[in-house]
Amino acid sequence: MTDITLSPENSLRHGESLFRVRQLQDNVEARPAPSRIAEPTRLNPLPSKAYFFWLMAPAIILLACISIYPFFWMIYMSLHEVDIGSATWNNFENFTKLFTDTRYLKGWALLFQYSLMCLALQIGIGVFLAVVLNGARFEKVLVTALLMPMMMAPIVAGLVWYFLYNGTFGWYHWLFQSLGLLDAKSILASPNTAMLGIVLVDVWQWTPLITLITLAGLKRVPQDQLEANMVDGASPLRNFFSVTLPNLYPVLLIAVMLRFMDNFRFIDSALVLTGGGPGNATKILPIYLFEVSFKFFKLGRGAAIALTLLVVTIILGMILVKVFDRQQTRKT
Amino acid sequence: MASRDVVQYETPLTRGFRWFSGVFIALYLVWTLLPILVMFVSSFKDLLEAFKIPAVGDWSGIGVFFDFTPTLKHYRDLFVNLDFSRYMANSLVAAGGSAVISVILGSMAAYSLSRIDFRGKSDLFFWIISTRMAPVVAVMVPLYAIFRSIDLVGTLPGLILAYTTFNLPFAIWILKGFFDNVPYAIEEAQMVDGATRFQAFVAILPLVAPGVGAFIVLCILFAWNDFLFAAIIGSGGAKTLPVATRELVQPQNIQWGSIMAAGVVTTLPMMLLGLVIRRYLVTGLTMGAVKE
Repeated sequence: MTDITLSPENSLRHGESLFRVRQLQDNVEARPAPSRIAEPTRLNPLPSKAYFFWLMAPAIILLACISIYPFFWMIYMSLHEVDIGSATWNNFENFTKLFTDTRYLKGWALLFQYSLMCLALQIGIGVFLAVVLNGARFEKVLVTALLMPMMMAPIVAGLVWYFLYNGTFGWYHWLFQSLGLLDAKSILASPNTAMLGIVLVDVWQWTPLITLITLAGLKRVPQDQLEANMVDGASPLRNFFSVTLPNLYPVLLIAVMLRFMDNFRFIDSALVLTGGGPGNATKILPIYLFEVSFKFFKLGRGAAIALTLLVVTIILGMILVKVFDRQQTRKT
Repeated sequence: MASRDVVQYETPLTRGFRWFSGVFIALYLVWTLLPILVMFVSSFKDLLEAFKIPAVGDWSGIGVFFDFTPTLKHYRDLFVNLDFSRYMANSLVAAGGSAVISVILGSMAAYSLSRIDFRGKSDLFFWIISTRMAPVVAVMVPLYAIFRSIDLVGTLPGLILAYTTFNLPFAIWILKGFFDNVPYAIEEAQMVDGATRFQAFVAILPLVAPGVGAFIVLCILFAWNDFLFAAIIGSGGAKTLPVATRELVQPQNIQWGSIMAAGVVTTLPMMLLGLVIRRYLVTGLTMGAVKE
């Protein structure tokens, strides 16, 4: 193979064809842009827009009913004291109270702490795992085994880990104790370690996603560039940091944003593991919101909290879509 | 393949790294598969056997884990005494229903969005995708209030509708990518042959069928694994497997054997489905941003 690509006549032919493609492209650009009116040969022009709008309508209307309509309801509720069957205006009290609600403010801090801990561990472990798995002997089988935790319902994952963490018969508790990492108290029972306890479950379940994304990115790293560097005497480590990693940034950015938003979206496993406790040590904002709305049924207050959570998520989403778009344009 | 001609010399450093990465992979595999193994094995254990554990620091006692006589009594318990077959049917109907609705309506919308351009299209698109990204608890507060006022709380249609809030935008977003890859010329040719516009749309469906099939499965997976919507919107009449599993945890008496068996019942079908659609998994879980 190498003989062919390196022989001079081949590279010449390669150059020629490149040149021809260039010319063709120039010709295309030189032609005037085709306009639809001036094209009588087209028997079936694109159907009218109305047709497509009708085709789109059912989905859009349904989505509006279950997303825009509730959104206005949420705004309405957030401005009222909501009881069963009644709502009374209360002068933005739901919002003004939030500023002095320490559990609300702490909920934000804990949510970011939780997300950042999850991300740091997931990116660190996930990327390293992808690098060592890439091209390994049983790559396909190993990757399939890695997928398994992601298919598990988060609530079931939480329950299984709750069992493993248990202070009297949990295997992980036994392991931590045997390694001298913990005393008799379960990891979830102490305010200092409970956060780590729920982070580990998220790391267990979603690190494979980072690994899969990174593996997909690694397949697109230009090999010739790596080789050229190696010929010039660059060490594998140097190659990784100056060629591989910069090529991974775009996919990693997507992975980070997706995981970040999922940490805002899902609280299933944290809910069964600690339910926000001990004390309020793991009461991340969505759990606090869940309690306010569905344990104490203060739906007005809950709506106000939900609104703030939603706004932050939408801002994150805007950034994500920007990143998506840049990815798309780069590909084409 | 071409990298063969660059000779990589084995230095102690690279050999050490290779050795280290082998150990790392092995450790990671154990860490990732162990909870699943514990779940499966414990579901076949009698309660006392499940609680057997060696003394702290007694590493040779690990064998205790495999020291048990397998029993199916927890599974029997679930399906005979606890009505799990009904919860399973609920899960299936709720997840399947929302997946089918989402993919049918979603493919029509995605097709249209892929074929025309109009002002505000990107705004419409952002709105669609933002409904998918919204935190579940935040969406649920107003949805619960609305559903309560029209008596949809605790019913399967209510749950199907709730799942559609995240499955429909997902289907539109992903399927648009599929239709973008089908050239308009194919429909044109169909219409030249006398097909109506809608027939032309139906005619290109087989081209996207594998993808559509995979995303029906993914929609089912997302809905099946959901807990929060099912716990609040489906509470009472439409109990699904995750909720029923959670309810086995009672303050006084945690039925670990039944919980593990219920976990297996909930998880196993999704693991198998995940293997079936393995090829589309990364695309699906990254909302189409990353392709393998």
